[in-house]
Amino acid sequence: MIAYALRRLLYSIPVVIVGSFLLFWAVRLAFDPLGKLRQSQDPTVVAREIERLGLDRSIPEQYFLWLKGLFSGSWGVSTRTGGDAMQMIAGAAWPTLQLIFWGVLIGSVIALAVGVYSAVNQYRVGDYIFTGASYIGIALPAFWFGLLLIQIFGVWPVQALGAKEPPLYFVGLHSVGDSGLNFDYIRHLVLPVVTLTITLVASWSRFGRASMLDALSSDYVRTARAKGVPRKRVIAHHALRNSMAPFITVVLLDAGVLFGGLVVTEQIFSIPGMGKLLLDSLQAGDVYVLLPWMAVVAVAIIVFNLLADLSYAFLDPRVKLR
Amino acid sequence: MTSFTRRPGSPVERLKRALLPAAAALALGISGCSAQGTSDSGSSASGGEIVIGAEQEPDCADWIATCAANIWGSYIMRTPTLPKAFDTRETDDGWRLVPSDLLTGEPEVEITADGKQIITYSINPDAVWSDGEPITGEDFVYTGLQVRDGDDIFDKTGYTLIESIEAPDEKTAVVTMSEQYGLWRILFSGDFQVLPKHILDGNDRAAIMKDGYDFSGGPWKIDSWVRGTSVTLVPNENYWGEKPKLDKVTFQFITDTAAAFQALKSGQVQALYPTPQLDALSQIEAGVPNTNIEVDPDTGNSEAIWINNEAFPFDSVTTRQALAYSIDRPAIVERLYGKLGVSEAQQSFLSPLNAAFGSDEFSRYTRDLDKVDELMTGDGWEKNGDGIWAKAGQAAEFRITSHAGNKRRELTEQVLQAQLEEAGFKMTIANSSGAEIFSKLAPEGDFELGLWTIIDTVPEPTLSASFTSTAIPSEANGYSGINFVRTNIPGLDDLLTTVDRSVDDDERIAASLEAEKLIAANIPGIPLATVPNILMTNDRIGGPLQINPSEGPFWNLEKWTVG
Repeated sequence: MIAYALRRLLYSIPVVIVGSFLLFWAVRLAFDPLGKLRQSQDPTVVAREIERLGLDRSIPEQYFLWLKGLFSGSWGVSTRTGGDAMQMIAGAAWPTLQLIFWGVLIGSVIALAVGVYSAVNQYRVGDYIFTGASYIGIALPAFWFGLLLIQIFGVWPVQALGAKEPPLYFVGLHSVGDSGLNFDYIRHLVLPVVTLTITLVASWSRFGRASMLDALSSDYVRTARAKGVPRKRVIAHHALRNSMAPFITVVLLDAGVLFGGLVVTEQIFSIPGMGKLLLDSLQAGDVYVLLPWMAVVAVAIIVFNLLADLSYAFLDPRVKLR
Repeated sequence: MTSFTRRPGSPVERLKRALLPAAAALALGISGCSAQGTSDSGSSASGGEIVIGAEQEPDCADWIATCAANIWGSYIMRTPTLPKAFDTRETDDGWRLVPSDLLTGEPEVEITADGKQIITYSINPDAVWSDGEPITGEDFVYTGLQVRDGDDIFDKTGYTLIESIEAPDEKTAVVTMSEQYGLWRILFSGDFQVLPKHILDGNDRAAIMKDGYDFSGGPWKIDSWVRGTSVTLVPNENYWGEKPKLDKVTFQFITDTAAAFQALKSGQVQALYPTPQLDALSQIEAGVPNTNIEVDPDTGNSEAIWINNEAFPFDSVTTRQALAYSIDRPAIVERLYGKLGVSEAQQSFLSPLNAAFGSDEFSRYTRDLDKVDELMTGDGWEKNGDGIWAKAGQAAEFRITSHAGNKRRELTEQVLQAQLEEAGFKMTIANSSGAEIFSKLAPEGDFELGLWTIIDTVPEPTLSASFTSTAIPSEANGYSGINFVRTNIPGLDDLLTTVDRSVDDDERIAASLEAEKLIAANIPGIPLATVPNILMTNDRIGGPLQINPSEGPFWNLEKWTVG
C-alpha cells in the first residue's frame, strides 16, 4: 500500500508541473500585475516595474525562473503585497482548513445519519421529508443562505429582540484581539460552518442513502436476515460498514476540492482563507501567489484522492491496490 | 433612528443645495436632518474602543512602494501615523493644502535667477517620533531621496525634479528643484509622507514597513495588523498635537457589502465608509437604525465619459459636441445618487476637491436634440432607415467600455444607451475587466467611449496627465501616459504646463480656467458625476464627523468619541 501511495504521488508531479505552466501562461495573458499602476500620473512607473519584475522576458523564461526559485526553496514574492508567497498561503490555508475540518466532520456525520435513516425508511414520510430537504439544500446558493443566517442569528436578535450583542458572530473567526479555541471562536464558527455544511449534507446524504440501499439489497444482507440476525445488527454491522466505502470516498474527494473552493463562504464571513486569497490574487494578476496556490490545492486534491483510494481498500477487502 | 447629513459645498453650491438633504431624507423615510457643517453627535466622553468596517485591505504599508497603491491604506494607517508637510483642509477658497503642525508655518519659496526653485521647510520644534526622537530635516532628506532614487516606487512625480535636499540644521530642510514646480506642496504630503531616517536608513525599508510598523509621527500608531482580518490603532503617547480621545480603534476588513451593513446593524462594527455602489445605496434606502449617515458630494472622484478622439465617429469636434447635447446628465446623476440628495452633474474634469481651479464650462451641454440635429446635418450626416446618423455609408455606431460587473456603471450605460438611441446614435456595451481596460484597451485606443473615474487625491490640479499631448500612449513610448482619449488641443499643453509649473497661484488659476474653456470647446470627454462619499456611524459615535475628500473619513479620528 505504501508503494502504491508513493507511486501515485510520483505520477502526480508532472501533472502539477504541466498544470502550473498552463496556469502561469493563462494568468500572464489574462491578468495584468501592473493593472493598479496603469492610471498612475507617473508615466515612467510602468516601464520601471516591467524591468524590475522581469515582465519583459518571455513567459517560458519567467516560468522557469520561478521554477528554479521553487527548487531552491523560494515560492516567489507577491507582486501585490511584496510578501513571501509561502507565508501568504500558509496564513490563508489555516482558516480554510478549520472550516473544512469542522464542515466535513459535522457534515459527514449528519449526512450519514440522514442517509441511513432514509434508506432504512425508504418511501416513508421521513424519507420524503429528508429527500425534499436535500434537494432544497443542494439548490441553496451559499451567498444567499449565508446572508439569511446572518440576518436571523446576527441581526434580528439585536434589532428585534434588543439583545446587546448577537448570539452568533459573522465577521472572521475571532473577535478582535481574541484567539484560540474558546466560546468566542465557536460563536464565530457556527454560521460559516452551517453555510458550508448545508450543501454538503444535502448531497452526501443522497449518496449515503443510495449506497446504503445498495448494501441493504445485497445478498449478504438478505442471508443475514434469513439467518435471523437482528435488524439493528444487520444495519449496523453488515450494511453500514459496506456502504461506508463509497460514502467516504465521496467525502474525501469533495474535501480535497473544498480546499480551494470556499470563495463565497469566506467572502461573506470575512474569513481570510484560500478562496479569498485566490480572488485577491486573480484580480491583481499576482501569478507568484497563484502558482503555489494552485500547487498546494492540487496536492491537497491528490492527497485526498489517495486517501479515498486507500480508505476504499481498507473498508472493502475485495479491493486490492496495485 | 437614523440621522442624515449632507455636507455643503462651495457657497453657491450650498445655496443651490440647501433643500436637497431634506428632500433626500423624506425620500428615504429617515429623519434628524442636519444640513450644515460637521456632524457632532454621540457622547463626548474620552476613552473606549470602536470597530470600523473597512471594505478593502491595503496590500502593504511601505507607502512609497508600488504595492502600497491603495486608498484604504492611506485612510487607516498612513494618514493617522505619519507626519506630512501639508494637510488638506477646507478654507474659504475650498479645499486647499495648508501647512500642517509638522511645520512652523508656510515654507519659504524662492526662485533663483537660473530658474531653480528652493523650498525651505521649518520644522516644529515639538515634533517628535513615537520613540521620542525629534523629527528633523534629515527625515525630509531621507524621504525625498528614497522616492527620487528608489527602485520600487509608486509615483516619482515631482521628486524627479529634486536636485538636492539638505538639512542645514536639525529643524530645517532645504529642497532645491531643478526647475519651477507649481505642485510643490504635494512633496512630503499627498501620497508620500515623511519617514524616520533614524529607523529606516541603512535598513530594508520594505521589510520594516510592508506589514505595518511600530513607529509613528502622527496621533496614532499601529498596534497590530492581522492580515486578512484587521488593523488596530492605539494612541501615540508622544504625539505633540491633539491626542486621541479613544483608547483603541480597530478597522475590520469586511469586503462583502451586504455583510458589512449587517455588521453595522448588529453592532459588530460602529462605522462604515461604503463605496456608493447600487447595493450599498439600496441598503441605505432600506434604512439602517441608530445610524448617522454623512453624505458628501464634494469629493475628489469624478466619473466621466471618455471619448477616443481618434476613433470614428468621434474624430471630429462636431460629433463629440452632438454627443454631449444628446445626454441628459442630471437625469443620470439623479438616477444614480438621487436617493442621497445628489442630482447635479459635474461640469468640469476637475473634481470639487479642486474647485478653486475649475469652472462650470460644461454646463452649456444640456440635452437638446434639436441642437444635435443641427450639428449633425450641418456636418453632412443623415439618419438612415434605422434612425441612426450615417455619413458616407458609415453609421454612427460605437461601443462604450467600462468595468464589467460594476452595477452602477452598467446602469449608467443603460441609461446612456436609451438617451443616445433617441438622439440617433447606436451604442453597444462592451465592458471588460479593469486590468484589461487600463493595460490594453485604453492605452492602445481600442475603444470609442469609456466610462471610468478620474481621481484627485490632493487639492492640486493634475489634468496635464490626462490631456497633454505628450501623455498620449503609443507604441513608440511603450504605451505609457494616460491621455487615453488621445486629445491634442492646440494651446492646451502650454496652459496645463503653467498650472503644473508656475508657483504663482493666481497665474495657475488663470491658466487652469483658460484650459477649462479649451477642454469644454473641444470635448475630449464629458464629465458626468461626482461620486459622493458616505460615512455611516453608529449614533454612539461622537465627532466632529466630517469626510475629508483627500485624507478620507478618519482624518480627524483623534477627535472621535464613543458613548
